[in-house]
Amino acid sequence: MSMNRTLYFKELKRNRKNTLIWTSIVVAFTFLILSIYPSFSQMGDQMTELMSSLPEEYARALGMDEGTWSSIIGFYSTYYGIYITLLMGIFTASTGATIVGKEERDGTAEFLLTRPMTRSTIVTTKFLALGTLLAVVYSTQTFFAVLGMNVFGDDVLWRHFVTMHVHGFVLVSFFTAAAVLFSSFLSPKLNYMGPVVGMIFGSFFLDAIAKATEQVSWLGYISPYHYLQLQAESGSLEVNWGSCIVLMILSLIMLKAGHARYLKRDIVG
Amino acid sequence: MNAIEFHSLSKFYGKHRGIEGIDFSVSKGEVFGFIGPNGAGKSTAIRTLLGLLHPSSGSASILGHDVVKEGVQARLKVGYLPSEVDFYPEMTSRELLEYHAGLYGIEKGEKRIEELAQYFELALDRPIDDLSYGNKKKCAIIQAVLHEPEVLILDEPTGGLDPFMQNRFFELLESLNKKGVTVFFSSHILSEIQRMCDRAAVIREGKITAIEDISSLLSKQMKKVRLVLKKETKLSLPDGFQNHHSTGSKHNFDYVGPTEVLIRWLAEQDLVDVVLTEPDLESIFMNYYQR
Repeated sequence: MSMNRTLYFKELKRNRKNTLIWTSIVVAFTFLILSIYPSFSQMGDQMTELMSSLPEEYARALGMDEGTWSSIIGFYSTYYGIYITLLMGIFTASTGATIVGKEERDGTAEFLLTRPMTRSTIVTTKFLALGTLLAVVYSTQTFFAVLGMNVFGDDVLWRHFVTMHVHGFVLVSFFTAAAVLFSSFLSPKLNYMGPVVGMIFGSFFLDAIAKATEQVSWLGYISPYHYLQLQAESGSLEVNWGSCIVLMILSLIMLKAGHARYLKRDIVG
Repeated sequence: MNAIEFHSLSKFYGKHRGIEGIDFSVSKGEVFGFIGPNGAGKSTAIRTLLGLLHPSSGSASILGHDVVKEGVQARLKVGYLPSEVDFYPEMTSRELLEYHAGLYGIEKGEKRIEELAQYFELALDRPIDDLSYGNKKKCAIIQAVLHEPEVLILDEPTGGLDPFMQNRFFELLESLNKKGVTVFFSSHILSEIQRMCDRAAVIREGKITAIEDISSLLSKQMKKVRLVLKKETKLSLPDGFQNHHSTGSKHNFDYVGPTEVLIRWLAEQDLVDVVLTEPDLESIFMNYYQR
């Protein structure tokens, strides 16, 4: 599998505006939640009381307990799990769903595929550009989260922070690969944003429902969120390397399957 | 080695036929017409040749390179002008042409881009989205010839061009052809084929129905005959005469067959006047389409 530099840089340029917008949203959201933590922490016992007054099922669904908001990392983990991974996932998965199919939808596939490159080179290059975009959003968010932790918090449990971010990266990569695969089976004329949001929110809520209701706890097994904890419940949060490796292998398999599908696709025009 | 070869090439979309058993070749340096009504399979054949569609059976090659197994080498030597022009709307023409040059590994394409843009009077720095269809077509022509291909594949090339630009385009094709470039010219505008091509293939319902020299097609095929006799007479028409209409002593009909037979038959009639109209290519190919 080879790549084409001209196409790679063209893809990055083509997606730069979207990447900038989504990165700004994610970074602004990260800073916003970290900046409000000091006010919450000053409320001390009131917050602990508030947390203990939450219905048990609700707290379980969101991975929260009485200690969750007693530290900046616990406070951040609630939002990281619910919003930040969802936002990053929606951006990278929707980009992944369209990065190849967009050429077909816009009629530019005829231009691109008649150049002297194999389809494999084109698809591989586009996947590499997608990976770069994911890395840009993810690393920028991580950088500003570290900065925010240092500005607004003290006694940060960096081990928990690293775990959350490793798990977040694996989840976002998994959703992106899944979006690439399903888009390769569907018409490029579809608007993929709905299915992408549905897939990510659906996975999140399946896990939340499974955690909240013991009778349907089996539902959690079909959600990737089940395997990678993002919230520091009872102060414990460890990297689940086994699940990380399995989900990354599944992501690579999905990318490979999507790649193979695109190679066989007819460009009807 | 031929410039383009089709070997029993077929493409089916499920049960629907695109093309079936296409088998012909285009010699190096030839200007070859590819003619057929809408939906006949012209674009399917071209898209299969360019690797956009996967053949159901058979094969095709460009300059000896199989278009499936050696698609990159084949496309490296091809310039393609599509019938519908869809480019990246956010780019300017210059950016698109530089991007195209980059994909062909051309490092110093700016001068050639400027020359061709000047020749076609194309504003290079306007976004493609703001260009008229005709200007987009000019941009498409430039990208087809920019990398100096050995084979040009043109699918309905003149749509959107005004007559002045069409003429410039034909002049460019003629000059490229003189340098040895092979031109594969798909069109339903027969006057273009008549002007440009040495030979042409007719495709109908996915199958090639004729491959002919344009000059031979024009000379041996149908003639329109209009004659006036001295008095109202019931004519006895031999084989090869068709579509006979008469009003009094005036008769109109078409004739397909050897010219000497027609002349001999005319000599036997009691004529006041006769007009033989040279057939245009359109009439000839309509004749083929209807077979």
